[in-house]
Amino acid sequence: MDRNKIGKWLRSPGKMGQKYSLHALYFCTGCGIIEIPPTITARWDAERFGVIPVATPRQANLFLVTGYVSLKTLRPIIRSYEQMPEPKYMVGFGSCPINGGMYWDSYNTIKHLDKYIAVDGWIAGCMPRPEAVFVAVTHLWTLIDKGMADGYKRYRENYRYYRENQEKILGKLEWPPLFSNV
Amino acid sequence: MTTILEIILIIFTAIIVGLFFLGLSRKVIARIHWRYGPPIVQPVIDIIKLFNQTGVSHGTLFNFGIIFSLAGSVVVLLFLPLGKICPLSSSGGLLVILYLMLIAPLGLALSGGEAANPNASIGISRKFLLAMGYEVPLLLIFLAVMTHYNTISIVEIVNKQIRTGWSFQHIPLLLSGIAYILILPAIIGLRPFEMIQAPQEISSGPMTEYGGKFLALTTIQHAFNVFIGISLFVNLFLGGAENPGYFFLKMLGVFIIFLFVNAVFPRLRIEQAIRYLWKWPTLLAFAGLIIVMITS
Repeated sequence: MDRNKIGKWLRSPGKMGQKYSLHALYFCTGCGIIEIPPTITARWDAERFGVIPVATPRQANLFLVTGYVSLKTLRPIIRSYEQMPEPKYMVGFGSCPINGGMYWDSYNTIKHLDKYIAVDGWIAGCMPRPEAVFVAVTHLWTLIDKGMADGYKRYRENYRYYRENQEKILGKLEWPPLFSNV
Repeated sequence: MTTILEIILIIFTAIIVGLFFLGLSRKVIARIHWRYGPPIVQPVIDIIKLFNQTGVSHGTLFNFGIIFSLAGSVVVLLFLPLGKICPLSSSGGLLVILYLMLIAPLGLALSGGEAANPNASIGISRKFLLAMGYEVPLLLIFLAVMTHYNTISIVEIVNKQIRTGWSFQHIPLLLSGIAYILILPAIIGLRPFEMIQAPQEISSGPMTEYGGKFLALTTIQHAFNVFIGISLFVNLFLGGAENPGYFFLKMLGVFIIFLFVNAVFPRLRIEQAIRYLWKWPTLLAFAGLIIVMITS
């Protein structure tokens, strides 16, 4: 820990804690997950940034959507995201969640992830290297510092929009709405 | 008045030392993996973060169980001498500690069971099976120590060790000491016996449904648990200490040795663990008890 960060720690311990302890949900949606094992193990060691994978959404506050999102995986993604405690950060990993990538004309993958879930940031590339994950993490720190990583707030405010989009593509959802503003 | 001050002091020392041990374990294991590892205060950062998150409660028993297990751990702490400091030295002793040590897993089981997650149920059943596994040799070890020193008071045992040398230097207690070394990883939940949490197979077991401040409280409880297991070993077999600093140094040495075991061993299955715990440590502890009864 830097000595010149002590002032920041005293002023806003919650924000600094959220910065330096990002617990990533270990949930693979597609091929991008192949870059995560080298990132968290001995070669690149994400733990020195405080990023560790956890097993359940209740303990996580960082969600990496790794790779293309098929209609079948969109459902557990939404459920996992809604189970995570706030504040939570959602990062799209790879080209496919951004605009479909190489699945741009596929019939059963979604093209724009941010229509269904509030996304805080993107890592472009097919595949992004593990270094790109660290660039994303440091960028997420800046966003948290400036209060711009507000995806969970946007999700709560525009929940009607997101829920409508989810129902449009998935049909009837079998779980009740998370917030009451539907 | 001094008793209240001592109680507060002991609780805070246990939290700080326990969290330091958790951070140290992550750092040491990272160095063994040839990684750089997180900063040593990482558990404290995690706890600060967790207290600033929203937590989802799953019912009254869910909240109550965590408090129950924390309270159980705190009460055990008050019976353990830290150097010379022991607020409840005049009452109870090893027998009370043996009873109270069951409260912490019971509280976590109540709380995790309320969440009604299948992974949590598997974790809780494993936790109780493991507790059943190590309580048998632990009871035999306690009996041997109590018979050898002819007292049930843990403060008395520490004083006698300060006069006559560590328990390991008393030949009759050697087998009991070795048996305690064999079951210590099971008590503090280190790697050969880490099947309770097992993130890869049952998604962190009883902790599955904990988030936010509930997870922070269970982390603190885990820190207490590590502290209790090691300080009991240091008090019974490594001679306790005159002052707390020397006591923590001994605890640190013991913990680092078990971290090395933790870093290189894979996880046992629960029935392998029970088979092991009821075979070698129990046999050694039983032989130790017989030797102590013959010699005393």
